[in-house]
Amino acid sequence: MQRLAPVVHVLGLVVLIFSFAMLVPLTTALIGHDAAQHAFDEAFLISLGIGAVLWLGGRRWRRELKTRDGFVLVLLVWTGLPAVATLPFLIYAPGMSFTDAYFETMSGLSTTGATVMSGLDTLPPSLNLWRHLLNWLGGMGIIVLAVAILPLLGIGGRQLLKAELPGPIKDAKLTPRIADTAKMLWVVYAAITLACALALRLAGMDWFDAVCHAFAALSLGGFSTHDASVGYYDSPLIEAVLIFFMLVAALNFVTHLLAFRQKSLVPYHRDPEVFGVLGLVFASILGVSFYVWQAGVYPEFVIALRHVSFNLVSLATDCGFASTDFNQWPVFAPMWMLALSCVTASSGSTGGGLKMIRAVLMFRQGVRELERQLHPAARLPVKIGGHAVPNQIIFAIQAFVMMYVATVVGMTLVLLASGLDFLTAFSAVIACINNAGPGLGEVGPASNYAGLSDFQTWALALTMLLGRLELFTVFVLFTRAFWRG
Amino acid sequence: MSAILPVLHIFSKVLMLFAFAFLLPLGVSIALGDGAEKAYDEAILITFFSGMALWLVSRRGKRELHTRDGFLLVVMIWALLPVFSAIPLMVYLPDLAFNEAYFEAVSGLTATGATVLSGLDSLPPSINIWRTQMHWIGGMGVIVLVVAVLPMLGVGGRQLFKAETPTPMKDSKLTPRMAETAKGLWVVYAFITVICMLALWAGGMNWIDAVVHGFSVMGLGGMSSHDASMAYFDSLLLEMIVMFFALVAGISFSTHFMAFRMKSLLAYRLDAELPWFLGVLAVSAFALAGYLLYKGFYLDFPEALRYAAFNTVSVATTLGFSSTDYNVWPYFAPLWMLFLSSFAASSGSTGGGIKMLRAVLLSKQLYRELIKLIHPNAEIHTKIGRQAVPNKIIYAVLAFLFVYVASVVSLSFVLSASGLDIFTAFTAVVAMVNNTGPGLGQVGPASTYAVLNDFQTWVLSFAMLLGRLEFFTLLVVLTPVFWRK
Repeated sequence: MQRLAPVVHVLGLVVLIFSFAMLVPLTTALIGHDAAQHAFDEAFLISLGIGAVLWLGGRRWRRELKTRDGFVLVLLVWTGLPAVATLPFLIYAPGMSFTDAYFETMSGLSTTGATVMSGLDTLPPSLNLWRHLLNWLGGMGIIVLAVAILPLLGIGGRQLLKAELPGPIKDAKLTPRIADTAKMLWVVYAAITLACALALRLAGMDWFDAVCHAFAALSLGGFSTHDASVGYYDSPLIEAVLIFFMLVAALNFVTHLLAFRQKSLVPYHRDPEVFGVLGLVFASILGVSFYVWQAGVYPEFVIALRHVSFNLVSLATDCGFASTDFNQWPVFAPMWMLALSCVTASSGSTGGGLKMIRAVLMFRQGVRELERQLHPAARLPVKIGGHAVPNQIIFAIQAFVMMYVATVVGMTLVLLASGLDFLTAFSAVIACINNAGPGLGEVGPASNYAGLSDFQTWALALTMLLGRLELFTVFVLFTRAFWRG
Repeated sequence: MSAILPVLHIFSKVLMLFAFAFLLPLGVSIALGDGAEKAYDEAILITFFSGMALWLVSRRGKRELHTRDGFLLVVMIWALLPVFSAIPLMVYLPDLAFNEAYFEAVSGLTATGATVLSGLDSLPPSINIWRTQMHWIGGMGVIVLVVAVLPMLGVGGRQLFKAETPTPMKDSKLTPRMAETAKGLWVVYAFITVICMLALWAGGMNWIDAVVHGFSVMGLGGMSSHDASMAYFDSLLLEMIVMFFALVAGISFSTHFMAFRMKSLLAYRLDAELPWFLGVLAVSAFALAGYLLYKGFYLDFPEALRYAAFNTVSVATTLGFSSTDYNVWPYFAPLWMLFLSSFAASSGSTGGGIKMLRAVLLSKQLYRELIKLIHPNAEIHTKIGRQAVPNKIIYAVLAFLFVYVASVVSLSFVLSASGLDIFTAFTAVVAMVNNTGPGLGQVGPASTYAVLNDFQTWVLSFAMLLGRLEFFTLLVVLTPVFWRK
């Protein structure tokens, strides 16, 4: 109790603040007189109450947080907020099970974009806005998580990124510096979101859709206000706008911040990940378009190029919009896109998966071991951006990648044992752990996750959480050493 | 050229020696008059005289071998001996394409057990003996490879196992010590094989089947003289004998060797892998039996246990016999078995895959990284038994695992791009890389690899070699650095 109370105190504050986010859809509901108004009334009051109780309850044990509390706090925030966020859904649709609602909000906040809901087009606008707002808020959470908190906790070699921070954080306490860093990054994030919304409006969406899709694109969430996702508009212009902003969101926001500050493109040039992200995506677009065209799915290369570029960028960056049912393509194409979703996003972006920098380092480490076979005594440093990477960090990254593989294999086997077919189970796990969204097979882009059993839904919600918190944040809580002393 | 000559010289000797291996099937063929005699005549002549010619050509380049030559020699032996091993098959079956014969021979010598032939029951007994004799010879090769050669080359953390070899080798030249080690192990291997054959014969097989299956089991290969594999006999006794010897072959032969020498079972207690190996298999067999019973696939537990235990042990040890078409079981069961095959076998056994020791090391390393998050400055050592493992070796093991995963993923993509469905592609690659044999889907235990096209057959032949040579050995030879002075 002594241990948890200070964390609960902070959690209470976070819930309190989070409940004010419900005022946005509430306002929309009031203006548009839609049917979900009472849902947000009640949800707002309840969550405000929960937050207040937690905050007041933990007040007596208030103290400075330490690294260890950081793990607990991060986990509680990312499991607690989705629970609170289910309230509007549960109140509006009493038929919806808590399992499904939790999956939906976890998918929203972890910016996965997998959905169990259909008939999105007829949902009250305020509820759709709430879903997209979850994406967007999740994105904010991820940026601060990825840039400030995880490096501090030392997850998966994230220490590497510390040096890149505008205000370097060197002490082990969770100090107000995080707030400074976060604020600056959020301003950039919000500014780009605004630009995206404007661009989508100009490209032909109505205001509401433009805002919603901008939220989903910048957070790389991938929720849509239409069952057909972006395929609903069938507009190359809208797709082009989204491709651009998805790629922007897949780059490190620290780099964007530096570029904004310096008013120059040099930071992009210096970012060791940018080249990898863009190079991999463009090469894949050309390759897969050619493959799909050759396989005779589309009569012309240009049409193939259009559909492949949108869906490939969307999946690779872990966004998860779809403009066509790519489940129908020869299976190599969507599998390749899913494979990209594991490695494409940059480390300080809102995307998920292993992250480009880890993939690059793992590759270089593999090459180094090959060379070491021939020159066992040679000193061969692994370098990134001109700096030698300390062995400690390579260890941490290797462990991270192996834990990732082990988790994918383990969760796939769990889903198989629960009765799913191989393609669905495997692709769903990949899509969820990378926080991408649509999988293949039964959970492909043309369908959704509603067909899964309760057990499978929980397993995948857990997978999204694991992916978002970079595995170790969660697993460390299951070691005895964590709770000792 | 002068760099290759000394390697060629050794290879020519191996080749001449290998020609004598055809004498056994030749003898059987003459004794039984089964009509395949001519095939071996030609094979002996071609093989022996090729060896002789090479020997004459390369005589002048004779010198002491270095580490680099070691890689080349190993790759040359394992890639080229199958060419000569394929001769009897091609002579006797003129319709067989070269790529298929090569696939069959690679599958034989790497002790994989995948076949492109059907109608095995009506093949001449000598051909079936040759097919599984390749397993047995391959098994001999693997034992000396993993116990003596790879540790010296430093492949995938194999240095770790140096301590376990009866005569430790510390210099980096390929010295005659290897021969001593190898001889000791081969005596044990041959001795156990004879016992296995006698047991199978006593268990009800005729002597040809006993020889064929004895070879196959001890090499953990998996080819059979019957299309139905072990299901042909439908005998619980034979299944238990095969299971027992498969388990024996899945244990390090160094351990067997020590036990023989010391005439005590103490050696088995000192083997760090053994409890994991037996534990994982026992738990899996019972759990899968329970799962199959629960799914209603078998009516009572003993029957479920019989099939689950045999096929689990067979696949997990990378043997690859089947006593029923487990492809029709609920997917979880066969995929779990394939999953086991990727790590269950011990490091000095004839089995394939990652090996149990590396898997144990990996899990300990992951745990260490978790603890490091809590105590960032603590010095924590990873231990096997009571020995601390140096970081260098952990690096090599992690890199090995990374290359393993990367190979499985990329080869699956290659096969899927060539038109195979993803399930078949993935399971085939896993089965090949682990040298197990049957995959699932189109290449399940009830079918063969004959359905694949030429390109796919070549890719899978490569996969078998890659797995058998523990990735690095083969990959190193394929890097440009290797050929640079």
